[in-house]
Amino acid sequence: MSMNLNRIKGILIQEFFITLRSFEVISDIIIFPGTTLILFGLLATYLAGITNITVAYSLLMGMLLWHIITIVQYSISVGSLWNIWSRNLSNMLITPISLFEYICAYTFSGILKAIIMITSSAFLIKIVFHFNIFDLGIANLGLYTFNLILFAISFGMVMLGLIFRYGTRIQAFAWGILPIVQPLTSVLYPVSVLPGPLQTIAYLMPPTYVFEALRANVLNPHIIQWNLFTISLGENIIYFALATWFFIAMFNQSKNLGQFARLEG
Amino acid sequence: MTNDVIEVRNLVKDYGSFRAVDDITFTVPKGKIVGFLGPNGAGKTTTIHILLGITTATAGHISFFGKDFNHHKQHILARINFASAFNTLQGRISVWENLVVFSHIYEVKGYKKKITDLIDYFEVSNMLNSLYHDLSAGQKTRVNLIKSLLNDPEILLMDEPTASLDPDIADKTLTLIEQLKKDRNLTLLYTSHNMSEITRICDEVIFLDHGKIVAHDTPLGLTKRIRSAQLRLIFNDDKKILEDYLTQENLQFTFEDEHTVTIKTEEELIPKLIFSISKTGIWMTDIEVKKPTLEDVFLQIARGDVHES
Repeated sequence: MSMNLNRIKGILIQEFFITLRSFEVISDIIIFPGTTLILFGLLATYLAGITNITVAYSLLMGMLLWHIITIVQYSISVGSLWNIWSRNLSNMLITPISLFEYICAYTFSGILKAIIMITSSAFLIKIVFHFNIFDLGIANLGLYTFNLILFAISFGMVMLGLIFRYGTRIQAFAWGILPIVQPLTSVLYPVSVLPGPLQTIAYLMPPTYVFEALRANVLNPHIIQWNLFTISLGENIIYFALATWFFIAMFNQSKNLGQFARLEG
Repeated sequence: MTNDVIEVRNLVKDYGSFRAVDDITFTVPKGKIVGFLGPNGAGKTTTIHILLGITTATAGHISFFGKDFNHHKQHILARINFASAFNTLQGRISVWENLVVFSHIYEVKGYKKKITDLIDYFEVSNMLNSLYHDLSAGQKTRVNLIKSLLNDPEILLMDEPTASLDPDIADKTLTLIEQLKKDRNLTLLYTSHNMSEITRICDEVIFLDHGKIVAHDTPLGLTKRIRSAQLRLIFNDDKKILEDYLTQENLQFTFEDEHTVTIKTEEELIPKLIFSISKTGIWMTDIEVKKPTLEDVFLQIARGDVHES
C-alpha cells in the first residue's frame, strides 16, 4: 500500500485553513476541552482538600485523556463533513488520493490537534492547579495515548462510514455518540462502580483498560500495567480490523448507491 | 493502433429495479470534444460519475488511455479532471487556499505560477483572498474551472460547466476549451443543455435517453437526420395566389401576416419549391431557410422520434 505525502499534505493544509477560519473547530479542540479541564481541575482541587489527592488526580487525568479520543475521532469524521457541507467531497474523491491516504491525513490531523490540546492542557493544569501530568511517567503516557488514538481511529472510521453511507442526516453521530460511550469506559471511576451487566460491556471497550491502568499508575507511577495494555491493544486490533472492514463496506455501498452524488445534489 | 482515450463497453448501472444506464458502449478519440446530451434523467450524470469512480457500475468495462480504470484508478485520476456547475469547493476557505490544496493533491509543480496564470485568464485575481462561499454562482464556476485545469488534464469531464456563467465568461470558457483542444490535444466529455454551445465546440454528440444511446454522430450528421426544413418567404403580391398554389401542392404552411408565409418541406426540395413559386408570378422580397438545429434533434429524441441508425 503506497502512500503519497504530497496528497496527505494537501488534506492537512485544508484542515489547517479550515481550523484557522472556523471558530467551531477552535472551540471543539481548544475552548471546550479547556473549560472542561478547568472545571475538573477545580473539582480535583476541592476533592484534594477533602479526600485523597490520588482521586482528584485520577479524575483530572481521566478527563484529559478522554479528550484524545474525542479530538482524533472528531477530526476523522467531522473533517469529511466540512467537505460534504461545502459540496466539495466529490472533488476530493475524484483526485488520485487513495482511501488509505485520505484516512491517514485526517488521522494525522487529529493526532496533531490532540498533541496541541495535551500540551496546552498540561501547561494549564501545571500552572493553575499544580498537577503535573508527567508524574505518571512518559512511557505510561505514551502507552495510554497510543491505545486511545487507536480506539479513536476505529471509532472515527465507523462514524465516517456511516456518514458516507447515510449522509448528513446522521451527522450528529460525529459528536453525539462518544458522550454515550464515555460512562461505559470508566473514565472517571473504577469499573467496579458500574452495575454488573455494564461491567461486561465496559470490559469490551479498549479505553476501559487504559483508564484502569491510569488509576493504578496514579498510586504507583513506576509500574507499567502490561496486562491491561495488552488486553487493550488486543481489543483495539480487533476493533481496528472490524472498523476498517465496516468503513470499506460502507464506502463501497455508497458508491454502489450513488450516494456521493446525492450528498451534493 | 487505436486513438481512443476513453473506451466504455456495455456499461450498465442499476439502482434496484431501476436501470439508470442501459448497456451503453462508446469511445472518445484523443483530441475530440464529445457532447453528452439527453433529457433530465437520461443517465448522463450517472455515466460521468461512473467514469470518475464515485459511483460503481453494475456491469461493463471502462478504460482510459488503454488502461483498465478499476486497476489503474490513481494513475488515471491524476491525468483527468472534472468541472461542474453543481459541486463546489470548500466554502470556509479562500479561493487561493482551495487552489493550493488541490495543487498539492494533484502534485502540481510550480503551482503558484500555474494558479496565477489561470486566475488571470479567468479574471478572478481580485477575488483570490475572498472566501469561496462569498462568491457569486458565476465566480464559483470560474474557480471550479481553474481547479479542473490545475493538473493539466489530458481528459476533462464537464457537467454543464457554463450553467451559471454570464454570456461573456461562458464565451471565454468555450474559447479556452477550444484553445486547449487546439494547443494540447485536450479530450473532453461535455454535458450541456445549451445546444448552441454543443454545436459550437463538439466534434461528436452522444444522445442518451432512458439510459440508452439513441444517437451518436457529428452535430451536422444529427441535424441531417431531420429531413424537414422551413422556408420563410416575404412577398409583395396577393396572398390568395400563393395560398392556392401551396394548397394545390399539398404543402404544410402558415401565414404570419398578409405578406409572410412559413412553409414546411424537405430540405432538398427547397430550391425547386422557390423556383416553382417564382413561376406563379409571386414576387419574393426575402427568402429565409430555417434548417433543423441540434435543439430540434433533442426535442425529437426526447419525444422518441429519432433513433440510432
